[in-house]
Amino acid sequence: MDNRWSVYGKTFESRFLIGSSLYPSPQVMRDAVQASGAEIITVSLRRQSPERGGGDTIWDFIKQMDCTLLPNTAGCHSVKEALTLAQMSREIFQTHWIKLEVIGDEYNLQPDPIGTLEAARQLIKQGFEVFPYCTDDLVLCQRLRDAGCQVLMPWGAPIGTGRGLINPYALQTIRERLPDVSLIVDAGLGKPSHAVQAMELGFDAVLLNTAVAQAADPVLMATAFAEAISAGRKSFLAGAMPQRQTAKPSTPTLGTPFWHQEGVDAS
Amino acid sequence: MNIGIAGAGLIGRLLAWQCLRAGHSVSLFDRDTIDGEGSAARVAAAMLAPYSEAAHCPREIFDWGVASMALWPRLIRQLHQDTGINVQLEQNGSVVVAHIRDTGELDNLMQLLGTKLPEHQAQITLLDQPALASLEPSLAGRFEQGIFLSGEGCLDNWALLDALADAIDSLGGEWHAAVSVDNVQPGQLDVEGQPISFDCVIDSRGLGAKPNQPGLRGVRGEVLWVHAPEVSLTRPVRLMHPRYQLYIAPKPQQRYVIGATEIESESMQPITVRSSLELQSALYSIDTDFAEASILKAYANCRPAYVDNLPRIDVEEGLISVNGLYRHGYLLSPLLLQLALDSLDGQVEHPVVRQQSSMQEGIAR
Repeated sequence: MDNRWSVYGKTFESRFLIGSSLYPSPQVMRDAVQASGAEIITVSLRRQSPERGGGDTIWDFIKQMDCTLLPNTAGCHSVKEALTLAQMSREIFQTHWIKLEVIGDEYNLQPDPIGTLEAARQLIKQGFEVFPYCTDDLVLCQRLRDAGCQVLMPWGAPIGTGRGLINPYALQTIRERLPDVSLIVDAGLGKPSHAVQAMELGFDAVLLNTAVAQAADPVLMATAFAEAISAGRKSFLAGAMPQRQTAKPSTPTLGTPFWHQEGVDAS
Repeated sequence: MNIGIAGAGLIGRLLAWQCLRAGHSVSLFDRDTIDGEGSAARVAAAMLAPYSEAAHCPREIFDWGVASMALWPRLIRQLHQDTGINVQLEQNGSVVVAHIRDTGELDNLMQLLGTKLPEHQAQITLLDQPALASLEPSLAGRFEQGIFLSGEGCLDNWALLDALADAIDSLGGEWHAAVSVDNVQPGQLDVEGQPISFDCVIDSRGLGAKPNQPGLRGVRGEVLWVHAPEVSLTRPVRLMHPRYQLYIAPKPQQRYVIGATEIESESMQPITVRSSLELQSALYSIDTDFAEASILKAYANCRPAYVDNLPRIDVEEGLISVNGLYRHGYLLSPLLLQLALDSLDGQVEHPVVRQQSSMQEGIAR
């Protein structure tokens, strides 16, 4: 089964994108990333005084992990901040890729749809390949695609909440209406079962950080998510049976006396 | 023995003092002045918090931390004998709270501690409002619940650092302040371009040892020291929040430390406006009486950490290196002090201690 997927001209085996923050130690981060099998890892420059080389040691460590780096603009609250940080990231990490986050609400870190769209347009003009973190609004997703984003990253739930897919209907609609865009559920997943659900909706990949980094055993949880994402993808490809209201036996009941057929178990 | 120590932070001072007590002759070299204003030890809040740290740290930090904390009272008594200074050591527990919107964080912490420390649940108590009020009355108006961690505490690190300087002086230690140590090698320190020989050299320079310690990194932390006569917290308080955990540690003379940010950066620039706002709003949200507090100091410094965030003592003939105490300096230093002193006398078996032979094996692997 060819399970590869592509984004901005690069092809990947793993459908798990993983974040590099909040782990108990860099060592645990490296072990968890290895266990996850992820080929793309997000990195954040925010607050590290990159202009003074403040984060060099940790970035060198991350670079050694031999993953494709996806720098993000986490913590930016305005278009201007996001653009500045994207340019700095391009210089430091030598990549046109940028995970765009423009935060609209300080408390639940909800993305600002208007700012995100504007920043995406400007970044694309400047030659960036943009991975926008956005809400699950269909029209916003369409506008981001029209602006030139080849991948969209709607949230499952607010960052770090671990609530799973709070609006599966909206995510499913985006998948159905934008069949040609790569879709990644970004943020809000807490358990591997949430990842299965996202992949079963036909999403191309899943991006998460906190659910692994803050688990009691991050390395084991990374493995669990990797298996869940793989299971969810296979389930999507296999085509799940439709749900039914009544039980339908998988063993033929011909020959069973009719008074035994009432309420028979699906077995 | 004639011992040369590079670095007069917390570990350097403790080692110098105890080596003098053991009858060695000690020379201490540091780029900083004796008040230690540039040292991570000065900036720290000096929390002794193995339980709350256990939530997101390797299990070793808890086990070593609990063993290490038990060594503080004897050290504080000895320091009193040597200097007459009584350094305040509080071991009355700490309180964890979260604002009403974030009470899920308290549940998370309880759950994590239940998973990670199943055999220590007696030291972990969920507090309802009356219980919180009886421990820390000023918190009860604002918080409906909390967690009491009875095995935690904090100490007065400014007084400790000053007392250690006094003790080193009175026991005849030679303190060379504001000098640069260019290189450290077995039996020799290069100070301001001059090689000086010793029977044994101890490297406790923290992040300053980076040229000799590949893999060591700095993790930036920022804290505020405030004077708040209207506030009456008696225990350290940890404020849980979805994105950061801050603690307020009470110090003598109505001073409080709020900290610390945790940023994967080696920048030594002064505290940022963003961090300062976060720390101040956390203070104000714990107790509005902090509004009238005076800000005594705003510090930024870098904690030295290895890639696994665990401390390490490297021992070879003529050289002992103690480093990587990260955010656990005051918690772990008594244990590391003991292990380093034992290493002076002979081979020590402890996961923290790496003998040179095993270090070479490690490189070969």
